Amino acid sequence: MSQASVLAAARSEKRTLLTEVESKALLKEAGVPVVDTRLARTREEAAAIAKEIGYPVALKVVSPDIAHKSDIGGVKLGLRTEKQTAKAFDDIMKAVQARQPNARVHGVAVQKMARPGVEVIVGLSKDAQFGPVVMFGLGGIFVEVLKDVSFRIVPLLRRDAREMIREIKGFPVLQGIRGQEAVDIAALEDILLKVSELAERHPEIKELDLNPILAYKDGAVAVDARVVLEGETPS
Amino acid sequence: MIPDLTHKLDRVFNPKVIAVIGDKKANGYSWLKSLAHFTGKLYSVQIDENEMPGIVEMGVTNVKSLMDIPEPVDFVVCAVPRKVLPRVLEDCIRKEVGGVTAFTSGFAETDEEGKRMQQQIAERANAAGLPLIDPNCMGIFRPKLGIRHGVDQYYGETGPVGVIAQSGGQATFITTGARANGLRTSKSVSFGNAAVLEAADFLEYLGQDEETRAIAMYIEGVRDGRRFFRTLRQVAPRKPVIIWRGGQTEDGARAARSHTGSLASSMAIWDAVARQCGAIRADTLDDVLDYLKAMVFIKPSTGDRVGLISMSGGQAVVTADAFARVGLRVPALTERSYAELASFFNVIGGSYRNPLDVSWNFNSTDLAQRLLGILQADENIDAVSMEFGVGAMQRRWRRDPAFAEGLLNYLVRYKEESPKPFFITLFPGKWEAEALEIREKLQERGIATYPSFQRSANAYRRLVDYYRAHAREA
Repeated sequence: MSQASVLAAARSEKRTLLTEVESKALLKEAGVPVVDTRLARTREEAAAIAKEIGYPVALKVVSPDIAHKSDIGGVKLGLRTEKQTAKAFDDIMKAVQARQPNARVHGVAVQKMARPGVEVIVGLSKDAQFGPVVMFGLGGIFVEVLKDVSFRIVPLLRRDAREMIREIKGFPVLQGIRGQEAVDIAALEDILLKVSELAERHPEIKELDLNPILAYKDGAVAVDARVVLEGETPS
Repeated sequence: MIPDLTHKLDRVFNPKVIAVIGDKKANGYSWLKSLAHFTGKLYSVQIDENEMPGIVEMGVTNVKSLMDIPEPVDFVVCAVPRKVLPRVLEDCIRKEVGGVTAFTSGFAETDEEGKRMQQQIAERANAAGLPLIDPNCMGIFRPKLGIRHGVDQYYGETGPVGVIAQSGGQATFITTGARANGLRTSKSVSFGNAAVLEAADFLEYLGQDEETRAIAMYIEGVRDGRRFFRTLRQVAPRKPVIIWRGGQTEDGARAARSHTGSLASSMAIWDAVARQCGAIRADTLDDVLDYLKAMVFIKPSTGDRVGLISMSGGQAVVTADAFARVGLRVPALTERSYAELASFFNVIGGSYRNPLDVSWNFNSTDLAQRLLGILQADENIDAVSMEFGVGAMQRRWRRDPAFAEGLLNYLVRYKEESPKPFFITLFPGKWEAEALEIREKLQERGIATYPSFQRSANAYRRLVDYYRAHAREA
């Protein structure tokens, strides 16, 4: 699934919200590391994919009409066997049927459970005056409660990426506290720069959320991704 | 975009002929009066017979139409009602004037009808390539040529400061405030609703203007943020740009909409813009003037280690606090400096670590020279900040003007010759008038002074941040 085909599919269906699978395909092609995520249409397909990528896996409903998947029971984590995976597929389908029966459901995304790391988030939004703006922050309470985030206007230079990471109050967390190792900050800088490039290349992207990204001492990976397109293609 | 804008703005800022359209008695002929010292030829355009005698009395030639002026007109000031403005602009286009400023209000900042009319005027001006410094503004201030938008402004002088303000009031406050701090303005513009020319146009122009060495901006909103960002990124490394944004809060933003019809982005976004471009963010008029002084008067530096001279023990403590609080360092001097200090420095109640507490012993130029000389030579110190005790100094100044002049001359020489940044804190206490007198003496000769340690520290911090931002790798 190339960037062009993802965007064309959304446009032809007059959708502005990309599914997680589509969002990740878009980001992967843009050079942003994402957790391997594949679409399963049946319980058998889900189990086969899980076997191929290796347990434990997570399952998430894939639907352009469902923005908050976990709220309706559309997410199952930490599945370790074929049996658990198949059951989780059925449970998700039942939950969606019960809670949002009119939603178009593409299937279920099967992805490998990422190993634990430091949660960070990267976002892209549009300012009425300055256009696309990239946001960076630490995940969880750092963003939700402390609003400890930094912004930069697209296009970002390497130094912008470097400075916006160091600017947040929680930066010491990334340097490693309480005996933890420092995370790979250069990998986070790369993600910020790739997102900036993606926004420049595709002005039709209205919003983008990578939440969370897990940062490790070697590399970082986006676990969840959400892309929203403009209603009308901007000139 | 107006084609060939630089050339056209050159004509607007250096006019030989100006016409004022629609000035009248009820307004106190304020536009014509503001232009009384214009070095070129001034015309009035007024068709009302009742208004004419007052204009003629001022010695200004009045004509009934712009078309009746027998020579090219470089700059036009319009003070006509909103319904008349479109017709007047047609005359300006036909006359091929250099540029127009319209004081007229009642456009996008008021109602839908005003918004529509502003749109029409902008389309017409853009189509004709007419640089319109657009409705609801005070236009330009070019003191060297006697072009003013208010009688409170000065004339006949010029300097390094360029001002770009969306508000005429702020343009006046910044330019006159800077003048009171020893800084003259090269070119200033107030551009109101920005229907045609906006902040980025003037930023680009002043960015390449040789006379202008530092730019102060007051902005409520920008139309094309992308272009503003690109322009700022180009200009800020060449010369310091100070941005004071009005409408930082929700209440302020609402006021900005009714003032200049401006849309507001969040302050976090403006912060990002300033950081990314290496511009200097200001939050108040005091900030603007403080930072302008720093950028014009104080030598460039990326060094954050400050040597402090204070007038008493308590002042030594709080001045160290003030500098440390903004992230500057107040390090110990070298052993060589301490050895030299020990040979002559009177330590009654004073200490000579850093700050150097002179305990009001500052009574000879020789002492000042030795102290400042030591700080200049000290390898642990990047910049020198000195407190000046107003009361004692003023008494001394009265009693012994020769000493005072000698000290002043020395400080000016030191400031010019020392490679290190040098500035003075002049805490007025109860001696406001006296402090002002000394402040003027120092600032007229190019030494930045601040009324508190906090403001000294803040201003120097911005200077360091500015030069560090532009020394960083891409």
